[in-house]
Amino acid sequence: MKKILLATVCAAGFAAPAFAEDCGEVTITQMDWASANVVTSIAKFLMEQGYGCDVTTVPSSTPTALTSVAETGTPDILTELWVNTAPAYDELVAEGKLIELTDVLSDGGIEGWWVPQYVVDANPEAATLAGILANPALVGGRFDNCPDGWGCRTVNDNMNRVIDMEGNGIEVFDHGSGETLATAIAAAYADQEPWFGFYWAPTAILGKYPMVLVDMGGYDAETHTCNSSTDCAEPGISAYPSAAVKTAVTNTFQEREPEIAALMANVTFTNDQMNGVLAWMEDNNASAEEGAVYFLSNNRELWADWLSDDAREKLSALLQ
Amino acid sequence: MATYDFLFDKTGLRDWCDADAVASPMSMSQLLSQVGNDDGTSGNTLPFPSLDTLHEACAAIPQTRDVTAGVEDGFLAIKDSLKFVLDPLTQPLSWMLDGALYAFTAAPWWVVIPLLIWVTWLSTKKRGITVFVAAVFLFFGVIDHLEVALQTLSIIMVCTSLSVLLGVPIGILMSRSDRLQRVMLPILDMLQTLPSFVYLIPLIFLFSVTEPKLYGIAIILYAIVPIIRLTDLGIRLVDKDVIEAATAFGMTDRQKLLGVQIPLALPNIMAGVNQTIMMSLAMVVIASLVSAPGLGVLVLRGIRNLELGVGLVAGFGIVLLAVVLDRCSKAALQRVDPTNKSR
Repeated sequence: MKKILLATVCAAGFAAPAFAEDCGEVTITQMDWASANVVTSIAKFLMEQGYGCDVTTVPSSTPTALTSVAETGTPDILTELWVNTAPAYDELVAEGKLIELTDVLSDGGIEGWWVPQYVVDANPEAATLAGILANPALVGGRFDNCPDGWGCRTVNDNMNRVIDMEGNGIEVFDHGSGETLATAIAAAYADQEPWFGFYWAPTAILGKYPMVLVDMGGYDAETHTCNSSTDCAEPGISAYPSAAVKTAVTNTFQEREPEIAALMANVTFTNDQMNGVLAWMEDNNASAEEGAVYFLSNNRELWADWLSDDAREKLSALLQ
Repeated sequence: MATYDFLFDKTGLRDWCDADAVASPMSMSQLLSQVGNDDGTSGNTLPFPSLDTLHEACAAIPQTRDVTAGVEDGFLAIKDSLKFVLDPLTQPLSWMLDGALYAFTAAPWWVVIPLLIWVTWLSTKKRGITVFVAAVFLFFGVIDHLEVALQTLSIIMVCTSLSVLLGVPIGILMSRSDRLQRVMLPILDMLQTLPSFVYLIPLIFLFSVTEPKLYGIAIILYAIVPIIRLTDLGIRLVDKDVIEAATAFGMTDRQKLLGVQIPLALPNIMAGVNQTIMMSLAMVVIASLVSAPGLGVLVLRGIRNLELGVGLVAGFGIVLLAVVLDRCSKAALQRVDPTNKSR
C-alpha cells in the first residue's frame, strides 16, 4: 500500500503536475465486504492513475458512512451503499447532503431467505417456503433473522406475522450483528448442517458457500412496501425486490470535483461481472486489490468508456 | 525482476523455487508498472524480506495469506475435539443465563420492582440508596425500558457472580505462588486487550450461535480480570509482621488465609468486585453484537438507524444501571468489611 501511495504521489507530482492541480485529496468509503472492496480498489486506481487524485480509503459500513456524512460531510464518495437497509440514506438525499450518482451494481443485489445447496440437493422441497413449513426439520427448525435495526428485520418480522414460524416448529433467532449471521452460515457449512435465514448477494459469503434462494412465491410491490414499515396493518408474503446498491457523493464534492463525480457515475457492474471477479478471487485465494487488477486487466474496453478523454490519454499504456 | 531474485539464484535454490510454480495473481504494483506513470521509483527501495516479497522472487515460498489460511484450516481441524471438551464444560453458563433471563422477565413488575428495592435495603441498609434504586426502576418502567433493563441486569448478575466465584480462588492461588503469578499476569493482560470478536467468532464454530453462553463467555473473560488482580494484590499487601504474628500463634495455613489474610485483603477484594461489575456493564453493547438481549440492542439500533434518541436513552439507561450497581455494591460490601466495623 505504502509503495503504491508513494508511487502515486510521485506520479501526481512529477509526471502530471497539471492533473495534480485539477484533483486534490479524495476520500472514498471502503465497505467491509468483498464486492465493495473490489469497487473501491478499482475506483481508487482510476482516480489516482487517470485523474491524478490523492485517494484515501476510509474503512466503514453503510450506517457509519451515512452518519459521518450527516455530521461532518465526509467521506466524499460513498460507494456500494445498500440503501434498503439504511433509511437514513433517503433523508440525506432529500436534504441535499448526498447526491445520488448511479446504481453501482446495475442489476441490484439479491436479498432473501436462503438454504445451503447441500440441503436442497438432499431434499429438493427445501427450496420453497411451503416445503420448509411442511417439514421444518429439513432446515434444522431455526430461522436466522436479521439484527435489530436492519431494514430486512422489519420485513421478516412482518412476514412472520403471516407465516407464524414458531407455530410451525421453526424457532426464530434474532442475530445481534451481521458478523454472527455470516459466521452462522460458515459454521453450518463446516459441519454440513442445515441452515435457513436471511442473507444477500453478491457477497463473499454467498460466493464462498453456495446457497439456494428460497422460493417465496414472487414479488408483490404493494405487499413488500407494507412489510417494510413497522406499523404495517396487513402484512403478506412477498419475495424481496432486487436491492438498490448506490454510489453517492456529498454535495460539496460534486461542486469541487465534478469530473470525478462524472467518473463515479459511470462505474457500474452487472451481477455477472461482479460475481465473475468474486468467484475468481475465491478460486485464487486473492485479495480484493488483486481482484480489482483482474477486472482492470480483463475488461479494458469496458472501463475505457468510463473515463474522460484526458484520463484515457494518461492510461493509454494500459488500454492498447 | 523481483528484489530478492539474487538470493535464490546464488544459493542454487532456483530449481526448487520454479519446480511447481503456479502463476500468482497480478498485484496492483505490477499493474501500476504497466501504466508507466510511476517512473519506476518503487524499484529503488529495498523492501523488507517478508513472505509476500520473497514469494515474488521464489514461487515455492508461501505468501502471508497462505499462513492465515493455514491457521484457519488448523482451527477447523481441531474444532471437533475442542467442541467435545468445551461444549459440556460451558453448558451450565447457558442454563444460568437462560434461567436468570426467564426469572427476571417472566415475573410481573409488581413483584420484580419491590423485590429489587427490598434486596437493596437488606444489603445496604441505606435509605438514600434504596430510594434512588426505586426511582431508577420506576423511571425505567415509565419510559418502557423496564424489560430490557432487567434483561441487562440479569445478564450482569450471572456473569459477575460467576466471575467472583472463579476469580477469587484464582487470585488466592496467584498470591501464594510466584510462578503462577508470572504465568497469569500476561494472560490477564491479554484478556483485557484482545478484541472480543477475535475469540467470539471462532466460538460460534464450536457452539450454536443461539447459545447465551457466547456472550456470557465474552463478558466473563473481560470482567474476571480485576477481581483476580485485586485479590492477588490485596493478599500480597497484607503486612508481613501480622503474618509473622499469626505464625507465632501456631496458626495453620488455612487459618492464616481465612482468619488473617482474606479479612485484611477485603477492601482490595471489594474494589475488585466493584470493578468487575463495572467491566461487565461495559461489555453490554459488545455482548449485544452476539445476540445478548437488553439495553445494548437498543444502543445498536440507535447507531444503525441514526435514531440518536433511541441510542442516547438506552446509553443513559446503561449509565443509570452502572450507578445503581456501583452504589449498591459499595454500600453492601462496606457493611461486611471488618476494618470498617471497628471504627
